[in-house]
Amino acid sequence: MKRPHLIGLAIGVVVLVVAVIALSAGAPAPGLIGNGDLTRLGSEGARIVDVRTAAEFAGAHIEGAENIPLRDLPQAAEGWDRAEPIVLYCAVGDRSSSAAELLQSMGFERVYDLSGGIAQWEGALAGGAQTAAAEPPQVATSGTPVMYEFYTDW
Amino acid sequence: MVDRLKTEYEGVVEFRIINVESDPEGGRLASGFGIQYVPSFVFLGSDGNQKDLLVGEVSEEQLRASLDALQ
Repeated sequence: MKRPHLIGLAIGVVVLVVAVIALSAGAPAPGLIGNGDLTRLGSEGARIVDVRTAAEFAGAHIEGAENIPLRDLPQAAEGWDRAEPIVLYCAVGDRSSSAAELLQSMGFERVYDLSGGIAQWEGALAGGAQTAAAEPPQVATSGTPVMYEFYTDW
Repeated sequence: MVDRLKTEYEGVVEFRIINVESDPEGGRLASGFGIQYVPSFVFLGSDGNQKDLLVGEVSEEQLRASLDALQ
């Protein structure tokens, strides 16, 4: 009578181990991630957050991302589920690193930070950059050449 | 570095420095140029046409090369 119980227990253990391995293989560890991880997390329903400015976001952003500039993040994240996977990115990784630290300090458990930011993203982009670039704005000059520097404090 | 170059190139190249976060009109202009990342530097000739674009953290040598090419 004991053997069937033992076999059942063994099968249960094997199934559990396989399930744990499968789950761990499917979800990267929180922290810095690459493009492939972002794609996978996005397909699994992770919240993808672009912490750049609205102007940068309008220019181009990763498909499926929502724009929450870094300075607005504390208030926006207040009502989010702390167990929800959140993928952060910015231009090159500086602001998203600050954002990741912020969310971790707020108790978020699954915070991912796209290494290198959108600058190294090779996937699909959304936004109006291509249309806008096709027709550059007319800028008045005083007869001398002009250099624009576009920056943020972050 | 940019401030130093601005002084050096005064009267030769006009520097327009725009915080895209605090200046909505500047942000729209950045979008118009197709700017996706900051900092970015857009160089226009005296006719207002774009001559060059530098993206990201750039060296003084890179900036000087683009500025000198405008003259």
